[in-house]
Amino acid sequence: MLPTITRQGRLIPWLYLAPALVIMLIFVVFPVFNTISLSLKDKTSTRSAEVSCVAGEPCWGKLENYRYALTNPEMTQALRNNARWLILMVPGTVIVGLLFALLADRVPYESLAKSIIFMPMAISFVGAGVIWRFVYHIESGGGEQIGLLNALLVRLGASPVAFLSNPAINNYALMVVGVWLWAGFCMTVLSAAIKGLPSEVLEAARVDGTNEWQLFWRIMLPMIAPTLLVVTTTMVINVLKIFDIVFVMTGGNFGTEVIANRMFKLIVTDTGRSMAIAVLLIVLTIPLVLFNVYRFRLQEREE
Amino acid sequence: MKKTSRLGKYWLYLPLIAMAIFYLIPLYVMLVTGFKSFAEVDLKTMWNLPSGIHFDNYIEAYSKLAPSLWNSFAMVIPAALLSSALGSLNGFILAKWKFRGADAIFPFILFGMFIPYQSILIPLVQFMNAVGIKGLPGLALAHIIYGIPITTLTFRNYYASLPQELLEAAKIDGADMLKIYRYILLPLSAPSFVVVLIWQFTSAWNDFLFAVVLTGNKQWPITVALNNMAGSQIIAWNVQMAGSLLAALPPLLIYIFLGRYFLRGLLAGSLKG
Repeated sequence: MLPTITRQGRLIPWLYLAPALVIMLIFVVFPVFNTISLSLKDKTSTRSAEVSCVAGEPCWGKLENYRYALTNPEMTQALRNNARWLILMVPGTVIVGLLFALLADRVPYESLAKSIIFMPMAISFVGAGVIWRFVYHIESGGGEQIGLLNALLVRLGASPVAFLSNPAINNYALMVVGVWLWAGFCMTVLSAAIKGLPSEVLEAARVDGTNEWQLFWRIMLPMIAPTLLVVTTTMVINVLKIFDIVFVMTGGNFGTEVIANRMFKLIVTDTGRSMAIAVLLIVLTIPLVLFNVYRFRLQEREE
Repeated sequence: MKKTSRLGKYWLYLPLIAMAIFYLIPLYVMLVTGFKSFAEVDLKTMWNLPSGIHFDNYIEAYSKLAPSLWNSFAMVIPAALLSSALGSLNGFILAKWKFRGADAIFPFILFGMFIPYQSILIPLVQFMNAVGIKGLPGLALAHIIYGIPITTLTFRNYYASLPQELLEAAKIDGADMLKIYRYILLPLSAPSFVVVLIWQFTSAWNDFLFAVVLTGNKQWPITVALNNMAGSQIIAWNVQMAGSLLAALPPLLIYIFLGRYFLRGLLAGSLKG
């Protein structure tokens, strides 16, 4: 329970908080409403979105931009890709992070091992993009392959692969970069949770002859479940708004489009559509934020 | 305690080493390629160390990126300082001053933390234009504002963990809230300030989205300049790699020397308090 200092009245704390609240109102709350209202306008932001309807074709009236956001092939591709990112990258980062936290916990040089995994977090997405573009680079002209992976493939006698422009694999190639960048985050948070487990419990289980496998599934996993949930929801939010990696590495071309990148591309040329996509993104994020609020309150009550 | 059979060890080290390699190779490539002359960047010498240390690439990359490196410093330092200061004050009030409505603020803080920034870009740009704040100051302002939620939360959690007796004693001595903050909590805040400052420095330094929208040619911070340099096909890989390393150096140095604080910031960022 938080302590109370109430003698100085009810109004004063609000006074102190006022600057921050005003800032939040101007820069978070108001922009969201502004975004919603722009999403109902056409590309010039002056007329209703209805004007972009074409006679004889489906039209959602004022919500025409939402028709684009939900049914246009460019957008359905982006939505499908985001779903793929969610399905593969969220478990990918969490599992790699958890595995690494568990394994590193048992070896000497633990902190060195962890530093290595965490290093990419200190590098910008842009910097990582440059590095990974070199890793994936393909020399299309018939010159020598100097991109890391293709040089390796050629040396092994295989033919070079267009990692970033072949739609069958490029999304996965980008997700590998995503895991490279984010697994360190999951590892750090999960590792802290594992270190926080009461050692008596683990010792007792070991003395009782529980093997490490059972120990993990029956004791550790249930105990770190809340942290696992936090990491997972945070990653879901991060992946929903995934942008930099795609923007820097492929620009959303070759079938790698994602929601946030689509939105960014249209922001100047077709503000209405862009803002409809933005609203879609906000709507997708809200349940996760509410869930975090709920979890945060729960944790407060326990303390 | 950690008795592991030889077979067990094998299973322990194999995946660890595999992952370490997966993580290190791109970094190794960045480092090594950056020091090579262009003729050396080819198949045969791919894995070799450079024939000598060639600083040429760094000189060329630096000559292209220097102005934006300084732009980044000029923007990131005030942004980190101010958002930390505001976060400290807010955190203090939320943690030590239970009042009606305080709970209602949390959803806002979390929403501000997780909102996809793309969705507020246009209103943000319009606002900046309306009040006439452009370029780097505008970018710094954006980082201050959108840094407030996380700095507030970090400080709040830290202050909530401090013993209440400290404040009670000061209150009995007749100190008002502002004095309690100034003379009791602020001096104790150094650890949290370190965490928050490092966190804000690195995230503002590495940001691309706000930077590309809010700044023009002359005021590009390093991420935008690097992206544009890398986007032009003429620039050789070894110069690009040198550029990436230059851009990554300040946050990497912070991470290497102050890494554990950085990690704490990360934990705060995941709402783990």
